Amino acid sequence: MDLYLLGSVSWLDSQLIYHALPRLGREGLILLWPGSPYVCIGYHQDAEQEVDLAYCRASGIPVFRREVGGGAVYLDGEQVFYQLVLRRTHPLVQGSKEALYRRLLEPVVLVLRDLGLAASYKPVNDILVGGRKISGNGAGEIADSLVLVGNVILDFNYEMMVRVLRVPDEKFRDKVHKSLQENLTTLRRELGGLPDRAQVQELLVHRFAEVLGPLAPRPLPEEVRLEVERLAEERCSEAWLLRGGRRLAGRRVRIAAGREVVQNVYKAPGGLIRATVEVADGRFVAVDFSGDFFFYPPAALEALAGHLAGTPCCDAEATIAAFYAAHGIESPGVTPADLVKALGLSR
Amino acid sequence: MKIGPYTFPDDLYYDREHNWARVDGQTVTQGLTDFGQAIAGEIIYVEAPRVGREVKQGEAFMSMESGKWVGRVRATVGGRIVAANDALEFDSTLVNSDPYGAGWLARIDMADPADLGKLMRASDPAFAEFIAAERAKYQK
Repeated sequence: MDLYLLGSVSWLDSQLIYHALPRLGREGLILLWPGSPYVCIGYHQDAEQEVDLAYCRASGIPVFRREVGGGAVYLDGEQVFYQLVLRRTHPLVQGSKEALYRRLLEPVVLVLRDLGLAASYKPVNDILVGGRKISGNGAGEIADSLVLVGNVILDFNYEMMVRVLRVPDEKFRDKVHKSLQENLTTLRRELGGLPDRAQVQELLVHRFAEVLGPLAPRPLPEEVRLEVERLAEERCSEAWLLRGGRRLAGRRVRIAAGREVVQNVYKAPGGLIRATVEVADGRFVAVDFSGDFFFYPPAALEALAGHLAGTPCCDAEATIAAFYAAHGIESPGVTPADLVKALGLSR
Repeated sequence: MKIGPYTFPDDLYYDREHNWARVDGQTVTQGLTDFGQAIAGEIIYVEAPRVGREVKQGEAFMSMESGKWVGRVRATVGGRIVAANDALEFDSTLVNSDPYGAGWLARIDMADPADLGKLMRASDPAFAEFIAAERAKYQK
Protein backbone atom coordinates (compact mmCIF):
# COMPACT_ATOMS: atom_id res chain seq x y z
CA MET A 1 0.00 0.00 0.00
CA ASP A 2 1.12 3.55 -0.72
CA LEU A 3 2.54 5.45 2.24
CA TYR A 4 2.70 9.24 2.22
CA LEU A 5 5.05 10.56 4.91
CA LEU A 6 4.40 14.24 4.46
CA GLY A 7 5.57 15.74 7.76
CA SER A 8 4.49 19.34 8.25
CA VAL A 9 2.06 20.53 5.55
CA SER A 10 -0.24 23.52 5.18
CA TRP A 11 -3.39 23.33 7.28
CA LEU A 12 -5.46 22.95 4.10
CA ASP A 13 -3.35 20.10 2.72
CA SER A 14 -3.72 18.34 6.08
CA GLN A 15 -7.42 17.94 5.16
CA LEU A 16 -7.62 17.93 1.39
CA ILE A 17 -5.15 15.18 0.54
CA TYR A 18 -7.30 12.49 2.14
CA HIS A 19 -10.35 13.95 0.40
CA ALA A 20 -8.52 13.77 -2.96
CA LEU A 21 -7.18 10.20 -2.82
CA PRO A 22 -10.55 8.38 -2.82
CA ARG A 23 -11.84 10.60 -5.65
CA LEU A 24 -8.95 9.27 -7.73
CA GLY A 25 -9.60 5.66 -6.69
CA ARG A 26 -6.32 5.54 -4.77
CA GLU A 27 -5.71 3.80 -1.46
CA GLY A 28 -3.04 4.84 0.99
CA LEU A 29 -1.89 5.74 4.47
CA ILE A 30 -1.02 9.39 5.04
CA LEU A 31 0.96 10.62 8.05
CA LEU A 32 1.32 14.36 8.55
CA TRP A 33 0.69 17.31 10.83
CA PRO A 34 -0.55 20.82 10.04
CA GLY A 35 1.87 23.71 9.91
CA SER A 36 -0.61 26.09 11.52
CA PRO A 37 -3.72 25.76 13.69
CA TYR A 38 -7.29 25.59 12.44
CA VAL A 39 -10.74 24.43 13.44
CA CYS A 40 -12.30 21.43 11.74
CA ILE A 41 -16.00 20.60 11.95
CA GLY A 42 -17.85 17.37 11.18
CA TYR A 43 -19.59 16.89 7.86
CA HIS A 44 -23.09 17.24 9.31
CA GLN A 45 -22.43 20.01 11.80
CA ASP A 46 -23.84 23.51 11.64
CA ALA A 47 -20.78 25.79 11.59
CA GLU A 48 -22.57 28.82 12.97
CA GLN A 49 -24.03 26.88 15.87
CA GLU A 50 -20.81 25.06 16.78
CA VAL A 51 -18.01 27.56 16.22
CA ASP A 52 -17.41 31.19 17.20
CA LEU A 53 -16.82 32.15 13.59
CA ALA A 54 -16.35 35.85 14.39
CA TYR A 55 -13.57 35.05 16.86
CA CYS A 56 -11.89 32.67 14.41
CA ARG A 57 -12.01 35.25 11.61
CA ALA A 58 -10.63 37.99 13.87
CA SER A 59 -7.88 35.66 15.07
CA GLY A 60 -6.97 34.37 11.61
CA ILE A 61 -7.94 30.80 12.47
CA PRO A 62 -9.39 28.99 9.42
CA VAL A 63 -12.49 26.83 9.82
CA PHE A 64 -12.93 23.77 7.60
CA ARG A 65 -15.79 21.31 7.05
CA ARG A 66 -14.54 17.73 6.54
CA GLU A 67 -16.47 14.89 4.86
CA VAL A 68 -16.05 12.77 7.97
CA GLY A 69 -18.25 12.49 11.03
CA GLY A 70 -17.80 13.77 14.56
CA GLY A 71 -17.58 17.17 16.16
CA ALA A 72 -15.67 20.43 16.03
CA VAL A 73 -11.99 20.15 16.96
CA TYR A 74 -9.06 22.53 17.28
CA LEU A 75 -6.15 21.07 15.35
CA ASP A 76 -2.50 22.09 15.28
CA GLY A 77 1.02 20.79 14.77
CA GLU A 78 1.13 19.19 18.21
CA GLN A 79 -1.00 16.36 16.85
CA VAL A 80 0.28 13.69 14.46
CA PHE A 81 -2.49 12.80 11.99
CA TYR A 82 -3.01 9.38 10.43
CA GLN A 83 -5.40 9.21 7.49
CA LEU A 84 -6.23 5.87 5.97
CA VAL A 85 -8.04 5.49 2.65
CA LEU A 86 -9.28 2.00 1.74
CA ARG A 87 -11.64 1.01 -1.05
CA ARG A 88 -14.99 -0.33 0.15
CA THR A 89 -14.06 -3.72 -1.27
CA HIS A 90 -10.82 -3.95 0.75
CA PRO A 91 -10.83 -7.06 2.99
CA LEU A 92 -10.20 -4.89 6.06
CA VAL A 93 -13.35 -2.85 5.40
CA GLN A 94 -15.76 -5.58 6.42
CA GLY A 95 -18.06 -6.05 9.37
CA SER A 96 -19.59 -3.72 11.90
CA LYS A 97 -18.41 -0.19 12.55
CA GLU A 98 -17.10 -1.18 15.94
CA ALA A 99 -15.19 -4.15 14.53
CA LEU A 100 -13.74 -1.93 11.84
CA TYR A 101 -12.70 0.83 14.22
CA ARG A 102 -11.22 -1.74 16.60
CA ARG A 103 -9.25 -3.37 13.77
CA LEU A 104 -7.94 -0.15 12.25
CA LEU A 105 -7.19 1.60 15.55
CA GLU A 106 -5.24 -1.33 16.97
CA PRO A 107 -1.97 0.02 15.46
CA VAL A 108 -2.48 3.31 17.29
CA VAL A 109 -3.14 1.54 20.59
CA LEU A 110 0.08 -0.43 20.08
CA VAL A 111 2.09 2.72 19.28
CA LEU A 112 0.98 4.23 22.58
CA ARG A 113 1.95 1.02 24.36
CA ASP A 114 5.33 1.14 22.58
CA LEU A 115 5.73 4.54 24.18
CA GLY A 116 5.12 2.98 27.59
CA LEU A 117 1.47 3.90 28.07
CA ALA A 118 -1.34 1.54 29.08
CA ALA A 119 -3.55 2.46 26.14
CA SER A 120 -6.82 0.78 25.29
CA TYR A 121 -9.55 1.05 22.67
CA LYS A 122 -12.94 2.31 23.83
CA PRO A 123 -15.90 1.78 21.54
CA VAL A 124 -16.87 3.22 19.33
CA ASN A 125 -13.79 5.15 18.28
CA ASP A 126 -11.72 6.57 21.12
CA ILE A 127 -8.36 5.50 22.48
CA LEU A 128 -7.84 6.01 26.19
CA VAL A 129 -4.90 6.17 28.56
CA GLY A 130 -5.78 6.08 32.25
CA GLY A 131 -9.44 6.59 31.38
CA ARG A 132 -8.69 9.73 29.37
CA LYS A 133 -8.95 10.17 25.61
CA ILE A 134 -5.57 10.59 23.89
CA SER A 135 -6.62 10.10 20.27
CA GLY A 136 -9.72 11.29 18.41
CA ASN A 137 -11.08 9.44 15.38
CA GLY A 138 -13.80 9.64 12.77
CA ALA A 139 -14.73 7.93 9.54
CA GLY A 140 -16.70 8.50 6.40
CA GLU A 141 -17.37 7.12 2.97
CA ILE A 142 -15.86 9.29 0.25
CA ALA A 143 -16.46 8.17 -3.33
CA ASP A 144 -16.00 4.37 -3.26
CA SER A 145 -13.69 4.38 -0.26
CA LEU A 146 -13.75 4.35 3.48
CA VAL A 147 -11.65 7.06 5.07
CA LEU A 148 -10.51 6.80 8.68
CA VAL A 149 -8.87 9.89 10.17
CA GLY A 150 -7.43 10.34 13.61
CA ASN A 151 -4.62 11.83 15.61
CA VAL A 152 -2.10 11.07 18.29
CA ILE A 153 -2.25 14.04 20.64
CA LEU A 154 1.25 15.07 21.62
CA ASP A 155 0.14 18.27 23.31
CA PHE A 156 -3.17 20.11 23.37
CA ASN A 157 -4.21 23.72 23.63
CA TYR A 158 -7.23 23.32 25.91
CA GLU A 159 -7.77 27.08 26.14
CA MET A 160 -7.98 27.54 22.37
CA MET A 161 -10.24 24.51 21.97
CA VAL A 162 -12.86 26.01 24.27
CA ARG A 163 -12.27 29.53 22.97
CA VAL A 164 -13.13 28.67 19.36
CA LEU A 165 -16.38 26.95 20.29
CA ARG A 166 -19.61 28.87 20.31
CA VAL A 167 -21.05 28.62 23.82
CA PRO A 168 -24.11 30.13 25.48
CA ASP A 169 -22.16 31.70 28.36
CA GLU A 170 -18.80 31.70 30.11
CA LYS A 171 -20.01 29.31 32.79
CA PHE A 172 -20.68 26.71 30.11
CA ARG A 173 -17.26 27.41 28.57
CA ASP A 174 -15.62 26.84 31.97
CA LYS A 175 -17.47 23.58 32.34
CA VAL A 176 -16.34 22.34 28.93
CA HIS A 177 -12.77 23.44 29.71
CA LYS A 178 -12.76 21.61 33.03
CA SER A 179 -14.25 18.48 31.50
CA LEU A 180 -11.73 18.51 28.65
CA GLN A 181 -8.83 18.85 31.08
CA GLU A 182 -10.15 15.97 33.15
CA ASN A 183 -11.01 13.69 30.24
CA LEU A 184 -8.56 14.41 27.45
CA THR A 185 -4.87 13.78 27.96
CA THR A 186 -1.73 14.14 25.88
CA LEU A 187 1.58 12.41 25.43
CA ARG A 188 3.23 15.38 27.14
CA ARG A 189 1.05 14.92 30.22
CA GLU A 190 1.49 11.16 30.32
CA LEU A 191 5.22 11.02 29.54
CA GLY A 192 6.27 14.19 31.33
CA GLY A 193 7.73 15.63 28.14
CA LEU A 194 7.07 16.06 24.45
CA PRO A 195 8.06 13.01 22.38
CA ASP A 196 9.77 13.38 19.03
CA ARG A 197 7.18 13.55 16.23
CA ALA A 198 9.51 11.55 13.96
CA GLN A 199 9.57 8.75 16.52
CA VAL A 200 5.77 8.70 16.74
CA GLN A 201 5.59 8.64 12.95
CA GLU A 202 8.08 5.78 12.73
CA LEU A 203 6.10 3.75 15.25
CA LEU A 204 2.85 4.41 13.37
CA VAL A 205 4.41 3.15 10.13
CA HIS A 206 5.65 0.02 11.84
CA ARG A 207 2.36 -0.79 13.57
CA PHE A 208 0.10 0.06 10.62
CA ALA A 209 2.24 -2.17 8.38
CA GLU A 210 1.38 -5.08 10.67
CA VAL A 211 -2.30 -4.62 9.77
CA LEU A 212 -2.12 -3.20 6.25
CA GLY A 213 0.81 -5.20 4.90
CA PRO A 214 3.95 -3.71 3.34
CA LEU A 215 3.87 0.08 3.05
CA ALA A 216 5.73 1.73 0.18
CA PRO A 217 6.75 5.34 0.85
CA ARG A 218 6.21 7.58 -2.16
CA PRO A 219 5.92 11.27 -2.95
CA LEU A 220 2.49 12.74 -3.52
CA PRO A 221 1.56 12.10 -7.19
CA GLU A 222 0.94 15.08 -9.41
CA GLU A 223 -2.67 14.04 -10.06
CA VAL A 224 -3.36 14.12 -6.30
CA ARG A 225 -1.82 17.59 -6.11
CA LEU A 226 -4.09 18.75 -8.95
CA GLU A 227 -7.17 17.24 -7.28
CA VAL A 228 -6.24 19.00 -4.03
CA GLU A 229 -6.08 22.30 -5.92
CA ARG A 230 -9.45 21.63 -7.52
CA LEU A 231 -11.03 20.77 -4.18
CA ALA A 232 -9.47 23.77 -2.44
CA GLU A 233 -11.55 26.21 -4.44
CA GLU A 234 -14.83 24.57 -3.45
CA ARG A 235 -13.97 23.58 0.11
CA CYS A 236 -12.66 26.99 1.12
CA SER A 237 -15.88 28.70 0.07
CA GLU A 238 -18.36 30.21 2.52
CA ALA A 239 -21.10 28.21 0.80
CA TRP A 240 -19.42 24.92 1.75
CA LEU A 241 -18.62 25.99 5.30
CA LEU A 242 -22.05 27.42 6.01
CA ARG A 243 -24.15 24.76 4.30
CA GLY A 244 -26.94 23.55 6.56
CA GLY A 245 -26.25 20.99 9.19
CA ARG A 246 -27.57 19.39 12.32
CA ARG A 247 -29.17 22.00 14.57
CA LEU A 248 -29.59 20.78 18.09
CA ALA A 249 -31.79 22.11 20.84
CA GLY A 250 -29.61 23.73 23.51
CA ARG A 251 -25.85 23.46 23.30
CA ARG A 252 -24.00 20.20 23.36
CA VAL A 253 -20.23 19.62 23.33
CA ARG A 254 -18.89 16.11 23.04
CA ILE A 255 -15.75 15.61 25.14
CA ALA A 256 -15.03 11.92 24.47
CA ALA A 257 -16.92 8.72 23.70
CA GLY A 258 -20.00 8.64 25.90
CA ARG A 259 -19.17 11.94 27.62
CA GLU A 260 -20.71 15.31 26.82
CA VAL A 261 -21.55 18.66 28.37
CA VAL A 262 -25.03 19.97 27.58
CA GLN A 263 -26.82 23.20 28.30
CA ASN A 264 -30.52 23.31 27.66
CA VAL A 265 -33.38 25.68 28.31
CA TYR A 266 -36.97 24.53 28.77
CA LYS A 267 -40.08 26.63 29.25
CA ALA A 268 -42.29 24.86 31.79
CA PRO A 269 -45.73 26.22 32.79
CA GLY A 270 -44.13 27.43 36.04
CA GLY A 271 -41.25 29.27 34.38
CA LEU A 272 -38.01 28.97 32.48
CA ILE A 273 -35.59 26.22 33.55
CA ARG A 274 -31.95 26.24 32.48
CA ALA A 275 -29.92 23.09 33.04
CA THR A 276 -26.22 22.53 32.53
CA VAL A 277 -25.30 18.89 32.74
CA GLU A 278 -22.30 16.66 32.20
CA VAL A 279 -23.08 13.08 31.26
CA ALA A 280 -20.71 10.12 31.03
CA ASP A 281 -21.66 6.63 29.92
CA GLY A 282 -25.35 7.17 30.65
CA ARG A 283 -24.91 8.68 34.13
CA PHE A 284 -24.93 12.23 35.39
CA VAL A 285 -21.51 13.50 36.38
CA ALA A 286 -22.65 16.98 37.41
CA VAL A 287 -25.92 18.88 37.16
CA ASP A 288 -26.77 22.52 37.66
CA PHE A 289 -30.27 24.00 37.57
CA SER A 290 -31.05 27.69 37.36
CA GLY A 291 -33.76 29.85 35.83
CA ASP A 292 -36.92 31.66 36.71
CA PHE A 293 -39.22 29.31 38.59
CA PHE A 294 -40.38 28.78 42.17
CA PHE A 295 -38.71 25.93 44.07
CA TYR A 296 -39.25 25.44 47.81
CA PRO A 297 -37.21 25.09 49.91
CA PRO A 298 -34.78 27.06 47.70
CA ALA A 299 -31.64 25.33 48.99
CA ALA A 300 -33.09 22.01 47.90
CA LEU A 301 -32.57 22.84 44.21
CA GLU A 302 -28.81 22.65 44.63
CA ALA A 303 -29.25 19.54 46.77
CA LEU A 304 -31.32 17.95 44.00
CA ALA A 305 -28.59 18.71 41.47
CA GLY A 306 -26.04 17.10 43.78
CA HIS A 307 -28.34 14.14 44.35
CA LEU A 308 -28.53 13.44 40.61
CA ALA A 309 -24.75 13.15 40.25
CA GLY A 310 -23.81 9.53 39.70
CA THR A 311 -27.35 8.35 38.97
CA PRO A 312 -28.43 6.81 35.64
CA CYS A 313 -29.86 9.30 33.15
CA CYS A 314 -32.59 6.87 32.16
CA ASP A 315 -33.92 6.93 35.74
CA ALA A 316 -33.87 10.73 36.01
CA GLU A 317 -37.60 11.25 36.35
CA ALA A 318 -37.96 8.58 39.04
CA THR A 319 -34.90 9.88 40.88
CA ILE A 320 -36.25 13.44 40.87
CA ALA A 321 -39.76 12.30 41.88
CA ALA A 322 -38.32 10.37 44.82
CA PHE A 323 -36.33 13.44 45.85
CA TYR A 324 -39.51 15.54 45.69
CA ALA A 325 -41.32 13.06 47.95
CA ALA A 326 -38.46 12.72 50.43
CA HIS A 327 -37.93 16.48 50.81
CA GLY A 328 -41.49 17.74 50.45
CA ILE A 329 -40.60 19.85 47.44
CA GLU A 330 -43.07 22.39 46.11
CA SER A 331 -42.49 23.79 42.62
CA PRO A 332 -45.74 25.07 41.11
CA GLY A 333 -45.89 24.53 37.37
CA VAL A 334 -42.62 22.60 37.34
CA THR A 335 -42.90 18.82 37.60
CA PRO A 336 -40.12 16.24 37.75
CA ALA A 337 -40.94 15.56 34.09
CA ASP A 338 -40.31 19.25 33.28
CA LEU A 339 -36.91 19.09 34.98
CA VAL A 340 -36.08 16.00 32.92
CA LYS A 341 -37.03 17.88 29.73
CA ALA A 342 -34.78 20.73 30.84
CA LEU A 343 -31.90 18.27 31.14
CA GLY A 344 -32.12 17.82 27.36
CA LEU A 345 -31.66 14.06 27.41
CA SER A 346 -33.79 13.35 24.38
CA ARG A 347 -30.75 12.20 22.37
CA MET B 1 -40.80 -12.22 5.40
CA LYS B 2 -38.65 -12.63 8.49
CA ILE B 3 -34.99 -13.57 8.30
CA GLY B 4 -33.81 -14.07 11.86
CA PRO B 5 -35.09 -11.09 13.84
CA TYR B 6 -35.26 -8.86 10.75
CA THR B 7 -38.35 -8.06 8.72
CA PHE B 8 -38.26 -7.75 4.92
CA PRO B 9 -41.71 -6.97 3.47
CA ASP B 10 -42.54 -9.14 0.47
CA ASP B 11 -43.84 -6.29 -1.67
CA LEU B 12 -40.52 -4.40 -1.73
CA TYR B 13 -37.36 -4.58 -3.82
CA TYR B 14 -33.91 -4.72 -2.19
CA ASP B 15 -30.35 -3.79 -3.19
CA ARG B 16 -27.03 -4.97 -1.76
CA GLU B 17 -26.55 -1.70 0.17
CA HIS B 18 -29.40 -2.56 2.57
CA ASN B 19 -31.88 -0.24 0.93
CA TRP B 20 -35.48 -1.10 0.11
CA ALA B 21 -37.55 0.27 -2.76
CA ARG B 22 -41.35 0.52 -2.94
CA VAL B 23 -42.75 0.95 -6.44
CA ASP B 24 -45.88 3.00 -7.06
CA GLY B 25 -46.23 3.55 -10.81
CA GLN B 26 -43.16 5.50 -11.87
CA THR B 27 -42.37 6.63 -8.32
CA VAL B 28 -39.97 4.67 -6.16
CA THR B 29 -39.79 5.34 -2.44
CA GLN B 30 -36.63 4.08 -0.79
CA GLY B 31 -35.32 3.62 2.72
CA LEU B 32 -32.96 1.59 4.86
CA THR B 33 -33.96 -1.99 5.68
CA ASP B 34 -34.53 -3.28 9.18
CA PHE B 35 -31.15 -5.02 8.95
CA GLY B 36 -29.53 -1.88 7.52
CA GLN B 37 -30.67 0.26 10.42
CA ALA B 38 -29.53 -2.41 12.89
CA ILE B 39 -25.96 -2.42 11.59
CA ALA B 40 -25.92 1.38 11.27
CA GLY B 41 -26.87 1.91 14.92
CA GLU B 42 -28.64 5.04 16.12
CA ILE B 43 -28.85 7.48 13.26
CA ILE B 44 -28.06 10.96 14.60
CA TYR B 45 -28.48 12.91 11.36
CA VAL B 46 -29.84 12.45 7.87
CA GLU B 47 -28.86 14.92 5.18
CA ALA B 48 -31.83 15.33 2.87
CA PRO B 49 -31.12 15.15 -0.86
CA ARG B 50 -31.88 18.07 -3.15
CA VAL B 51 -35.24 17.61 -4.83
CA GLY B 52 -34.93 17.80 -8.60
CA ARG B 53 -31.48 16.22 -8.74
CA GLU B 54 -30.91 13.47 -11.28
CA VAL B 55 -29.29 10.30 -9.95
CA LYS B 56 -28.04 7.07 -11.49
CA GLN B 57 -28.79 3.68 -10.01
CA GLY B 58 -26.17 2.94 -7.33
CA GLU B 59 -25.04 6.56 -7.12
CA ALA B 60 -24.48 8.03 -3.63
CA PHE B 61 -26.92 10.91 -3.29
CA MET B 62 -27.45 11.53 0.40
CA SER B 63 -25.72 10.84 3.69
CA MET B 64 -26.43 9.88 7.26
CA GLU B 65 -24.32 9.81 10.40
CA SER B 66 -24.01 7.43 13.32
CA GLY B 67 -21.07 6.84 15.66
CA LYS B 68 -18.92 9.61 14.15
CA TRP B 69 -19.32 7.75 10.86
CA VAL B 70 -20.69 9.39 7.74
CA GLY B 71 -22.34 6.80 5.51
CA ARG B 72 -23.63 7.41 1.98
CA VAL B 73 -27.00 6.32 0.70
CA ARG B 74 -27.09 5.02 -2.88
CA ALA B 75 -30.02 5.29 -5.24
CA THR B 76 -31.96 2.05 -5.70
CA VAL B 77 -33.02 3.24 -9.17
CA GLY B 78 -31.97 5.99 -11.52
CA GLY B 79 -34.15 9.03 -12.08
CA ARG B 80 -35.07 12.39 -10.60
CA ILE B 81 -35.48 12.95 -6.88
CA VAL B 82 -39.02 14.20 -6.30
CA ALA B 83 -39.23 14.19 -2.50
CA ALA B 84 -37.14 13.91 0.64
CA ASN B 85 -38.44 12.97 4.07
CA ASP B 86 -38.33 16.30 5.90
CA ALA B 87 -39.47 14.69 9.16
CA LEU B 88 -36.01 13.17 9.51
CA GLU B 89 -34.54 16.61 10.07
CA PHE B 90 -36.37 16.69 13.39
CA ASP B 91 -36.14 13.03 14.30
CA SER B 92 -33.54 11.01 12.42
CA THR B 93 -34.17 7.99 14.66
CA LEU B 94 -37.37 7.33 12.68
CA VAL B 95 -34.99 5.45 10.35
CA ASN B 96 -34.31 3.12 13.28
CA SER B 97 -37.78 2.91 14.79
CA ASP B 98 -39.89 2.71 11.61
CA PRO B 99 -37.58 1.88 8.70
CA TYR B 100 -40.35 0.85 6.27
CA GLY B 101 -42.77 3.60 7.26
CA ALA B 102 -42.09 7.05 8.73
CA GLY B 103 -38.34 6.52 8.33
CA TRP B 104 -38.38 6.50 4.49
CA LEU B 105 -35.54 8.49 2.92
CA ALA B 106 -36.41 9.71 -0.57
CA ARG B 107 -38.72 9.36 -3.56
CA ILE B 108 -37.38 9.01 -7.08
CA ASP B 109 -39.22 9.42 -10.35
CA MET B 110 -37.79 6.31 -12.02
CA ALA B 111 -36.19 6.86 -15.43
CA ASP B 112 -36.05 3.22 -16.53
CA PRO B 113 -38.12 0.41 -14.96
CA ALA B 114 -35.41 -2.00 -16.12
CA ASP B 115 -33.45 -0.86 -13.05
CA LEU B 116 -35.84 -2.93 -10.94
CA GLY B 117 -34.50 -6.04 -12.62
CA LYS B 118 -31.16 -5.47 -10.91
CA LEU B 119 -32.79 -5.50 -7.47
CA MET B 120 -33.83 -8.49 -5.38
CA ARG B 121 -37.12 -9.62 -3.85
CA ALA B 122 -37.40 -10.96 -0.30
CA SER B 123 -38.55 -14.30 -1.73
CA ASP B 124 -35.47 -14.70 -3.97
CA PRO B 125 -33.14 -17.46 -2.74
CA ALA B 126 -30.27 -15.12 -3.64
CA PHE B 127 -31.63 -12.55 -1.19
CA ALA B 128 -31.75 -15.05 1.67
CA GLU B 129 -28.17 -16.06 0.87
CA PHE B 130 -27.08 -12.43 0.76
CA ILE B 131 -28.65 -11.61 4.13
CA ALA B 132 -27.20 -14.78 5.68
CA ALA B 133 -23.73 -13.76 4.50
CA GLU B 134 -24.23 -10.21 5.78
CA ARG B 135 -25.43 -11.43 9.17
CA ALA B 136 -22.29 -13.55 9.44
CA LYS B 137 -20.10 -10.61 8.38
CA TYR B 138 -21.68 -8.24 10.88
CA GLN B 139 -22.29 -10.92 13.51
CA LYS B 140 -25.93 -9.83 13.71
